[in-house]
Amino acid sequence: MTDTVLEAQNVSYSYSRKGPKVLNGMNIKINKGVKTAVLGSNGAGKSTLFSVLNALYKPQGGRVLYKGEPLSYRHKGIIRMRSEVSILFQNPNDMMFKPYVEQDVAYGPENMKLPKDEVERRVDEALFTVGMEDYRKSPIMKLSYGQRKRVTLAGVLAMKPSVLIMDEPTAGLDPQMACEVMEIAEQLHETGVTVVMSSHDTDLVYSWADEVRVLGGGKCVYSGAPEPFYEDRAAVQRAGLMLPSVYAVNKAMSSMGAFPETPYPRTQAQLSVRMSGPGKSYGTLHVIRADKDADVTSVLSKEGMKGLPVGLYGISARIATESSGTEVGYPYNGPENCIMRCLAGSDAVLICDPAVVESAVSSVDFIERNGYGKIPVEMHEAVAPEKN
Amino acid sequence: MMVLFELDDVTFSHNPTLPPVMDGFSLSIEEGCRTAVLGANGAGKTTFFYTLLGVNKPQKGCVLYNGNPIDYSKDGLRSLRSEVAVVLQNPDEQIFCSLVEEDVAFGPLNLGMSTEDVEARVAKALADVRLSGLERRPLQQLSGGQRKRVAIAGALAVDPHVMIMDEPTAGLDPQASMEVMELAEKLALRGVTVLISTHDVDLAYRWSEVSDVLCKGSVAHTGDAEGFYSDVAKVHSCGLLVPSVFSINREVSAMRGTDPAPYPKSPCELLAKFGKSKRSGKVVLIPADPEEAADRLDSAMNDMKGACSCIYGSDVRHALEGRDIDFAFDGVNACLSRAVEGKDSVLLYDKIYDPLIRGQIERLRTFGFDTEAVL
Repeated sequence: MTDTVLEAQNVSYSYSRKGPKVLNGMNIKINKGVKTAVLGSNGAGKSTLFSVLNALYKPQGGRVLYKGEPLSYRHKGIIRMRSEVSILFQNPNDMMFKPYVEQDVAYGPENMKLPKDEVERRVDEALFTVGMEDYRKSPIMKLSYGQRKRVTLAGVLAMKPSVLIMDEPTAGLDPQMACEVMEIAEQLHETGVTVVMSSHDTDLVYSWADEVRVLGGGKCVYSGAPEPFYEDRAAVQRAGLMLPSVYAVNKAMSSMGAFPETPYPRTQAQLSVRMSGPGKSYGTLHVIRADKDADVTSVLSKEGMKGLPVGLYGISARIATESSGTEVGYPYNGPENCIMRCLAGSDAVLICDPAVVESAVSSVDFIERNGYGKIPVEMHEAVAPEKN
Repeated sequence: MMVLFELDDVTFSHNPTLPPVMDGFSLSIEEGCRTAVLGANGAGKTTFFYTLLGVNKPQKGCVLYNGNPIDYSKDGLRSLRSEVAVVLQNPDEQIFCSLVEEDVAFGPLNLGMSTEDVEARVAKALADVRLSGLERRPLQQLSGGQRKRVAIAGALAVDPHVMIMDEPTAGLDPQASMEVMELAEKLALRGVTVLISTHDVDLAYRWSEVSDVLCKGSVAHTGDAEGFYSDVAKVHSCGLLVPSVFSINREVSAMRGTDPAPYPKSPCELLAKFGKSKRSGKVVLIPADPEEAADRLDSAMNDMKGACSCIYGSDVRHALEGRDIDFAFDGVNACLSRAVEGKDSVLLYDKIYDPLIRGQIERLRTFGFDTEAVL
């Protein structure tokens, strides 16, 4: 049974009394722990909805419930609410309030009146998660757009929200940085945060989301798994959206009789697997669980792992590997690239943040569900070197 | 092909105390070539564009336009910018006036054209971006997507030879992005040399003939995209990722033990290469003027029961607004994908796109797929 964490009931909102209703009878539920994508054309009301869910705007009609309780719009209630439901706005410049990185990240936790050492601890942790530890003392003015985006994300993480709403988190980021932001989102999901995201990148959303909510005309017009929505071509078109290419190609291939339509592939690697058919013999996927201080070199030098292609996944894996000087063949999309190597018959090594191992090997399960056999997975533990 | 721009060993720095943002930068841009400019944030894409526009004057090396060094005098730059137009990523950086028509007229007025000519240019440019009727609308009442189109219209109004589009689809929803790319195709078909920078590697791969990849202020690759994406280590060091169609083709070819070439660039080409349909579905091609679009669609759909209707081009799309269309966006890919599946479709398009569509059908032949297309 799913647990609704955040809910809008018949909400209406307009920016001025005479203006159009941007939200008009909006009913939407966000379920705990479900990766939820909010889709819709420009002007469909995504950002307005997010601001209403976060108590930034008070709806003129209807109500918003958090964990079953209507929101309180008193000062205290709002502060508590925002520490639990946080938004990462699209433009980082809209949410930077302080001149230096550490001050900006500390802003949220300080507002929550946390003790000073707790604030410090949270700032450290959040900057580590977004890979900006080294910029703690930097002036925000000097940071690039992508770095600012990470700092604002750190600011939101420092409040330890139970729900994180990300408005177009990858907009304006180059492909690799977008990939890193999605890894962070995955990591948060694995650690129990309910992540909600809007994006115009149809393919990205499809590879990530468990469920979608589609907005149109100020209402939520679809709620559920993405495939039944994409099945309804007219509805997709009305909503200003396009089909994800992985979905469209899979459907066309199955209509030509290449394979059954389900299980639906969500990523390009999963689609490639279906299009290739079962392989003759699979290589072994070595997964090295690595915390940030872990010594990956000694694990990599073990018998059977020398010279294999190496992929990365997750923050701590990146940090541990960077300091080791290991040559990395697949710094991005590590899990998928490594699994492709295994399918082609050679062994591969994936250095992985312990928090995201499960999602890293999800494509192995996908291959098995297709009846294409199982890629052998071997787990390894990288430990921190003993300090003298 | 003729070389339009040539940069030879260019060094540029915003300030002598700072490290150069272009360093040993050499690149040619060929006339009429759909060129994608790729690179991570901070790779120097925007700096490069400003160099082409004569905004950045290199400290070392030279920039040739049509074989002549850029003339940085006031008159020289005015004449350069009457031929080379740019659409910035953020439309608000290039919108100056309060009303739509004033803003679009800004460029042509600056070129000293007569009022009549300016009006004609503005009307045509607004029609191209489908904003006719909003001439007197204050810009602050427009949405982000509409403002983007105003900025594009402003660039079109100078009737440029070269159109530079910096992240033209950033922030736009999927359908609006498709429309912008249709517009880029239209310009290319009119003979304008179009340069697009984008973080969307899938979009760039599908659209471009040449990919120029910038990395840390110099040129890491110039030429066909496949030559670049085949070198995975290089792709990563340039801050990019491999386009999904390229990657699917590579993986499936590797596992099936077949040749990765010819390289599919779009979903329909991927299907043509790897799908196993016995026969082609029928594609009825209808190049149409907006006035006749509805009638021609009706009669074609009458003749072809059960076919899918597909659209390419904003004029016919606009003329058919409110009608039930199966694929109102990305219609070429949709109808050719269906042809590969063995299903029939009707493709209605603006006449200017005829060469593009024939080219697509021809390309499918290189994947061993013969489309049954009739006019």
